[in-house]
Amino acid sequence: MRLLRYDRGFSRRKFMADAAKGIFGAGVLMPTWEAIAADGDASKAYPDELLSIEGYTKGRIKTGDYITAANVELVKDLLEPVRYEQILKMGRRLKVVKTTKDIMRLSPWEYLEATLKNAGKAGFDAKGNVVNKADGKPWIGGNPFPNPKTGVELFAAQTLSWGRHDASFYAMKMYSSDVNGGGTVKFNYSGGWAELAPVARVSMNPKPYWPGHDDKLRYQSVFFLKPQNFRGTSFLNIWDYDHSTFPTLYGYVPEFRRIRQFPTDQRFEPLVPGLSLFLSDAWAAGDPLYTWGNYKIVGRGPFLAGLSESWNSGHENWEHTTHGGAQGKLFWDATVELVPEAIIVEAEPVKFPRAPVSKKRVWFDARTQAVIGMVTFDRRGAPYRSFDGAYTLYENGSKKVMDGKHPYWSWAHVTSSDIQTGSVTRLEQVRVLEGKHFSGANDPSIYDKYLTHVALMSLGAA
Amino acid sequence: MYSLRLRLAQWVLAHRGFSFAFFIVVTAFFAAGLHKVELRTIFSDLLPTDDPFVQVYQDHPNFGSPLTMMVMIRRTDGDIFNTETLGKVWKFTRDIDLTPGVDHEQILSITTEKARYSEATPFGIDMRPLMSDRPPQTPEEVADFRTRVGKASNVRTFLISPDDKSTIIMATFIEQKVDYGVAFEYVQGLVNQARDGHHEVYLTGQPALIGWVYRHEWEMVGIFAVTMAILILTLTLYMRNLVGVLTPIITSAVAGIWAFGFVGWLNISIEPLLMVVPLLLTARSFSHSVQFTERFYEVYAQVGDRRKAAEITMSVMMAPSVLGILTDILGIIVVVAAPIPAMVRHAVFCGMWAVWLIPTGVVLISLLLATLPAPKNIHQLVGEGRENGVHRKFQAMLEKLASLSSGPKARWTTIVVVVLSALTIYTSSQIKIGNPVEGTNLLWYDSEFNTAVRKINANFPGVNTLEIVLEAKNQDSEDWVSQRADTVMTELKLQRLMEAGTAPPRATLSFADYLSEANRLFSGGDPRWSPLDPRDRAISAAAVGAMMGSSTKNFGHVVDGGLQNSTVSLWYADNKQETVDAALEAARKAVEQVGVDHKEFIVRLGTGTIALQEAVNRVIKRYQWVVIVAVDLLVFILCSLAYRSFVAGILLLIPVNLANEALIAAMHLLGVGLDVNSMIVAAIGVGVGIDYGIYLLSRICEELQGNGGDWQAAITASLRTTGKAIMFTAAIMTLGIVPWYAMSGLKFVADMGLLLMAIMAINMTLSLVVLPLLVWWVKPSFALRHNRWVGESVDLTKFSAH
Repeated sequence: MRLLRYDRGFSRRKFMADAAKGIFGAGVLMPTWEAIAADGDASKAYPDELLSIEGYTKGRIKTGDYITAANVELVKDLLEPVRYEQILKMGRRLKVVKTTKDIMRLSPWEYLEATLKNAGKAGFDAKGNVVNKADGKPWIGGNPFPNPKTGVELFAAQTLSWGRHDASFYAMKMYSSDVNGGGTVKFNYSGGWAELAPVARVSMNPKPYWPGHDDKLRYQSVFFLKPQNFRGTSFLNIWDYDHSTFPTLYGYVPEFRRIRQFPTDQRFEPLVPGLSLFLSDAWAAGDPLYTWGNYKIVGRGPFLAGLSESWNSGHENWEHTTHGGAQGKLFWDATVELVPEAIIVEAEPVKFPRAPVSKKRVWFDARTQAVIGMVTFDRRGAPYRSFDGAYTLYENGSKKVMDGKHPYWSWAHVTSSDIQTGSVTRLEQVRVLEGKHFSGANDPSIYDKYLTHVALMSLGAA
Repeated sequence: MYSLRLRLAQWVLAHRGFSFAFFIVVTAFFAAGLHKVELRTIFSDLLPTDDPFVQVYQDHPNFGSPLTMMVMIRRTDGDIFNTETLGKVWKFTRDIDLTPGVDHEQILSITTEKARYSEATPFGIDMRPLMSDRPPQTPEEVADFRTRVGKASNVRTFLISPDDKSTIIMATFIEQKVDYGVAFEYVQGLVNQARDGHHEVYLTGQPALIGWVYRHEWEMVGIFAVTMAILILTLTLYMRNLVGVLTPIITSAVAGIWAFGFVGWLNISIEPLLMVVPLLLTARSFSHSVQFTERFYEVYAQVGDRRKAAEITMSVMMAPSVLGILTDILGIIVVVAAPIPAMVRHAVFCGMWAVWLIPTGVVLISLLLATLPAPKNIHQLVGEGRENGVHRKFQAMLEKLASLSSGPKARWTTIVVVVLSALTIYTSSQIKIGNPVEGTNLLWYDSEFNTAVRKINANFPGVNTLEIVLEAKNQDSEDWVSQRADTVMTELKLQRLMEAGTAPPRATLSFADYLSEANRLFSGGDPRWSPLDPRDRAISAAAVGAMMGSSTKNFGHVVDGGLQNSTVSLWYADNKQETVDAALEAARKAVEQVGVDHKEFIVRLGTGTIALQEAVNRVIKRYQWVVIVAVDLLVFILCSLAYRSFVAGILLLIPVNLANEALIAAMHLLGVGLDVNSMIVAAIGVGVGIDYGIYLLSRICEELQGNGGDWQAAITASLRTTGKAIMFTAAIMTLGIVPWYAMSGLKFVADMGLLLMAIMAINMTLSLVVLPLLVWWVKPSFALRHNRWVGESVDLTKFSAH
């Protein structure tokens, strides 16, 4: 039994008062990080009304219900403006599932273990790079700032490790629709996304650094299998560990048989036609940390996000169902749960004098610091583009996808919306493409298969 | 028939309470629809829907960049390659991105990252923005920038003028988000800020045009107020009593409420560009009310009882009023024959407005006259004392005119009229179709917009484009038809044929141009790699290369958003009819040579300003005479029925058609071609102009019957009396239109006003000369019959109180 004084109003007052006092530690009843460190559960840090949708809405929305235009006003404060408008006006709906309390189900196991183990060891060096304070070398693994006090700490952690695995390969299908065109799918891509960390490794040997590559932060590539025109077309980004340096970008078109280098400071254009995705958008931290600036925490409060039950184990290739628009293919059938506390951070594109955006606002789960939503604003301050997705543990009853000793944790689907033009891009992680490109994590062969010049050329030749 | 009208008039005036209640209820009903009224110019609705060019335009609305604003910054004392001008271009580009409704992905200038120069290096392709992350700040940086510009051929053609003095900034808007008025006012504000002693700034593009039109449409409120003030002043001066002034205002206002409320309930938007026609109707309603009221005074002076006088006036005026209004209605609605949606809406709005003049101008006015207190100076109003010197001079002039149309001088007048008519018809047959102006015919030649269009056309490929569209047969093709070898090679062939043809465009552009450049760069940079390999896979690879790191929207002017349809854009120096004809002829031949039907697409000619101008010309060519013949036929039937004589129909139609010919001949002599305006005016000219003939012919018949068949005396008496009324009617209608001609910033509205004034004046003159002449020669037997429907005569002695 909890004391009644911890009602919704109390939480709200507490979030606002802390923000006003400049107290940025997470948690309402006690610091979130202390609760997690004690027993892997953040529940003790929050009152009941922040741990279930029933508590928050006083029973007017229950677990299993759908949020639709009919009841979205009840949870308007839990949504960023773009999802709210889509639900209200465009027929989007979200299914509510129960709040996940076990912290180990909200990130990869090894990442969380390393986070706990390495807590307090991280700092910024003179150049602002995240380092292991003990030796000034690159970070050693896990979230460097599990108890963040500043916006830049949250973004530094996010930029350091996007997918929270040492290496990931995502077999993806991508669809683009236009709300104004009735929501019909105009572009249909499939391909793969690979990312590999040569530093701060927690699963793959050698750990924490990959000798000879430890001046790099990340290798990352994307290649396309469909449509036929784009088959074999690929891009490779190689990130320097220095948090101010733009990555090197290579592109490959099979017909030309040559790898080409592209300028990488043009990050507000889609990589391929039709998809509403910019390089800058990747994981809400697609650019080097210090090419953005004026990071500041602008608010805290509960939020609705997809953190669980988003793996479609019923489909052999994990493909998700959809709704909305004339063809019923405008939005993912998505689940959301009440996140007791999100930390909202804003940042400005200080190194992009031509950027069409004035700032981005990103919601981080206060318990895990995972990004759970992003909205960018145009230079007039109007909402421009938004990103919302769903993470999940790939476990459903007896069905499981394993990542080493533990069930695989990853994202399941993402929705990227340009609220001004009405274009909606949907991405989903599928099991396999063409029988040989399998989604998965921490497989050392990902580097040779997807992340070298030779790999790009052989992908193009296939 | 007359007794039926009398019975109706008796019933209405015997149940005044009920009748007033009816009008109040109906007016309240329509007034409730007023808040739904929308005045809106839908530009695409000014185009004929059945024209093949317009259909291509409607199927591919994005080709020709209809949502793009184009700004030209011109350095007046040197070239743009200096820190001040480049800084200004940078700032303008950043500022235009702040315009409400702009698509942030579609801003283009020499300062944006989309204006790139490319070169192949040993390390890869260096594709960088022409300008770095800030405008050049030193002479060395300016020199570097100029060098880079030299490596970007498309930038040279489309963004910097050949004399290096001008550069273009383009911003495209999101159709669902943009409020054209707001966006235009914002960008126009930037334009005004950017102008200084060294820089001229010009703004064009369809969104800017719409913005200008909206701005001028707001002026119409002021013009409307001036018009109403003039009409009321005229009324006051003419009537000099409250009832005489109030009655026309109330009846016209009620008809106006019904008209606006009706379209409000139907959710039909009103085209402000055609607002001069309802104003004409208001003026018409005023003049009609004045004549009705004057007749009432005459009757009232005789019978001495308001209700009785109203009853008699209503019964005698009903038929001629209804006939006159019916011809107006026909003149207005007959334009629906032309398949132009704006005209159909206009016909519904104005046609119904004219319909509402029947109950208000016949019934309501009678109720008002029977109810409002009669003026005390009634005998003075109808007596001789009212006729001052001007009236007498007019009468003398009209008597002189009558002597020319009848009696011995008629022979000479006839010869003059016949010769002039022949000359008029010959001259009018020389008229050209179309009124090409550089820019838009909606605005004046020296308007800021048209000046900007001319300046941009003089320095860049400009705005006069012809688009040949390659339309995919399968809009969901997974192979993206715009990127197939056949499509791209057809584009190239079309470009080659047009460039080598008899009327070569000043520039051409297609997706193929971008592919050639990508092909060169990805193949190592050697210009020998520019030619495209005509294999699907090679073309597809070049397309991938061209679009890498770039939104499809950046190619929206040559390829549609779904990458299925594409266009070949051809720019011409001007849109003179000769240029249009030659361009279309060359394009037809080119299309024939490449073939229309391909495996995956068809070649459609075409869209763009050149094709759409031709489409409008074609609809005028096709429907100008259809509209005239239709209105003639309907009016002929109506008048023949009214006078129970085909001869009457013919007699009435000759002057109005001659008036039309005279107007067209005058336009030709002034170097103006036929356009949408003249088509509307011609129809209204017949419909409204025939009223003069009806007034005069009816009076001649009455006078003839009154004086025992003396034709000359009848004609003279008719011209003295009704001729004066015709002059008053024409004057009040002209007064109603003058402000629209004199004050409107919209040339389209002013032109229509001018044409309407001209046709009214010509109609009036010809009615007063040609109709009496025809009557004199033909001496139609129907004129002596008593059973005409439109007779206004009544034996007032039956009702006399004296």
